[in-house]
Amino acid sequence: MTTADLFLQQAINGLSLGAMYSLLALGFTLVYGIMELINFSHFNVFMVGSFVAMVTLQMFGLSGQDTILTGLPLVGVMLVAFLASMTLCGAIGVAIERFLLRPLRAVKGPAAMITTIGVSYVLFNAVLLSIGADSKNFPNPLPPLTFAIGGAVLRLREILIWIISLVLMGGLTYFVQFTRLGKAMRATAQDPEAARMMGVEVDRVVMTAFFVGSALAGASGMIFGLYYNLSKVDIGFAAGLRAFTAAVLGGIGNVPGAMVGGVLIGLIEALSGQVVGTAWTDVIIFGILVLVLVFKPVGLMGRVAPNKS
Amino acid sequence: MLTRRSAFKAAAGIAATATFGVTQGAYAADMVVKVGINLSYTGADSESATRVANGGILAFEEANKYKEVKGVTFEPVKLDDGTATAGQYDPAQAATNARKMVSDKGYIAALGPQMSGAGKAMSPILSAGNLATITPSSTNPDITDPKFAAQYRPNGKAIYFRTVATDAYQGPNMANYMADVLKVKSVFVLDDSGAYGVGIADSFQAQAEKKGIKVLGRDRLDPKAVDYATILTKIKSMNPDALYYGGVGQAGVKLAKQAYEIIPNVIKAGGDGMQSADLLKGAGFPAVEGWYATVASPHVTDDPKTKDFSDRYFARFNLRPDDYTVTCYTGARVIIEAVKMLVNAGKPVNRDTVRDAIQATKISNTLQGPVEFDENGDLKNKVISVFQIKKDTTKPLDDPDAQYKYVGVAPMA
Repeated sequence: MTTADLFLQQAINGLSLGAMYSLLALGFTLVYGIMELINFSHFNVFMVGSFVAMVTLQMFGLSGQDTILTGLPLVGVMLVAFLASMTLCGAIGVAIERFLLRPLRAVKGPAAMITTIGVSYVLFNAVLLSIGADSKNFPNPLPPLTFAIGGAVLRLREILIWIISLVLMGGLTYFVQFTRLGKAMRATAQDPEAARMMGVEVDRVVMTAFFVGSALAGASGMIFGLYYNLSKVDIGFAAGLRAFTAAVLGGIGNVPGAMVGGVLIGLIEALSGQVVGTAWTDVIIFGILVLVLVFKPVGLMGRVAPNKS
Repeated sequence: MLTRRSAFKAAAGIAATATFGVTQGAYAADMVVKVGINLSYTGADSESATRVANGGILAFEEANKYKEVKGVTFEPVKLDDGTATAGQYDPAQAATNARKMVSDKGYIAALGPQMSGAGKAMSPILSAGNLATITPSSTNPDITDPKFAAQYRPNGKAIYFRTVATDAYQGPNMANYMADVLKVKSVFVLDDSGAYGVGIADSFQAQAEKKGIKVLGRDRLDPKAVDYATILTKIKSMNPDALYYGGVGQAGVKLAKQAYEIIPNVIKAGGDGMQSADLLKGAGFPAVEGWYATVASPHVTDDPKTKDFSDRYFARFNLRPDDYTVTCYTGARVIIEAVKMLVNAGKPVNRDTVRDAIQATKISNTLQGPVEFDENGDLKNKVISVFQIKKDTTKPLDDPDAQYKYVGVAPMA
């Protein structure tokens, strides 16, 4: 492996991580953009998504990495698993918003944020009690196809993850930019009061943000399982913290910012592991975050909102 | 009204009476002595913890059943040092358990802990209470090393006994095995940043260098992180003959999974932290195929001498014992013999006398061979066994007994 190959390989690793972080970061950013609330339950909605996908795949009789599917069955199984984890996670997100956060919306102070931390632990412990604390073998029906680019190896799994992430992010961008509901979301983010006066149904907008963000976390959870062939009750904390960092790095509340932030964090993680050592990865990631915030407090792509004074 | 909890208690009481009714009824005046079995029942090592604990439980149940020690009933008590938050052993919980045992005079000795990180937290507390524990599997050498006596046994006397060898042998002997048997020329060393992992990786690395194996690098895994592709890609670019991982299952499962994809042809080895059902379950085949793991005790579960024990164990728990089940059973036997010796000599049975009796143990014919401790609590007879994972489709794929093949004894350093 030449140095160039090595860095290419690490870039491939980093992009895959980044795709996962980006999807997860979007959930933080959507909710924050509209409610100025950091939703910590997002960490474990992601984890639940990974287990929903695992159980769905197992219902098709898949276990471990021994059963390989191709063609239509593969596409079908993957679609069903993605839909299942996205729908269920979206529903959990909506339930959290409707029953736990909406009653608190008028309450000033950190009550809502603390509630999300509580929900996060409830989800964590519910899964812990029902599934256990050990690592679970995540079924992976993808054929082990690999492509060589020089000395670097690109696996089918990585290509698939990139494509899925791009499709989801493209869809979200379209949704936010061009649909009625998306425009309503942006309007609410800019100024909820004015939006309400213009006839925007704020409740519906908030609920949509939770649904979309949580559904993306579900997709991200499934991607996690496919990528590592493993799921575990504590995966939410490590991945969630990185994703949250990505959202802040990109400028929290800013949709393209979350995508860029996620990819950047993924690349930084891979390259710092290569150049410095994995023991230092967290130090480097959070060091960069602190530096960015010192010089550009709104994040890389964030703008100071005109009405949020 | 019968609440759910009291109903449960009542049911448990009935079950207990059904099992122990005869002995407890007939010997109501028996002195009941408690023995803590502190292992990591929650988290990544739960499977092995149960398997190990059952070894001790069997020994005490049999001693009670056959009234081996006159007038004494042993009561094994499980204490869990694993927590859900840690996902594995938690030193803080281990310390809490140690305090709990020390503060209750009913405890005369203990078995455990399973993990060295827990042992480091427990040892000073047990020392202050002069409560002896016998660990079936924690192998970090520092805990019994006289160099660190001020830290781990401030009271002076040894209270941390082992029925296993230490990583001072496990790591280096595996380095010898790599150099002499596997003809490895270069290696990359990883650890999982835990007490056990760092210790075993350090001692492996030192001996590997001494044997002329080129150590291409050393890095540390965060057991809570999920992505090790970065470090594995770096290792791939260095093209080593072998990878040595010092650590337990939490990082080990993820490492095995990802290593299989990135460096499939590199020889991979670990210590006893990689000898578990959790690895087979979490990482699974084909990822775990070919991994080497060592065990700091002689391999006896295939030995015809232990067949009777294995059968009794299976009949009671419907599980196969592993080698650390045997070391835990031996530890329990040491405690039983110590108490028996005291009772027969008419001496009082308390934690001070039991500690001294354990220290003086001399049993020549346990399942794992002769058992004697040196003045630090270390086992005098040290053997490191090497295993390799080879898929056996005729047996359950997550049964360590079937999937780890014994390949020999690692040469002494």
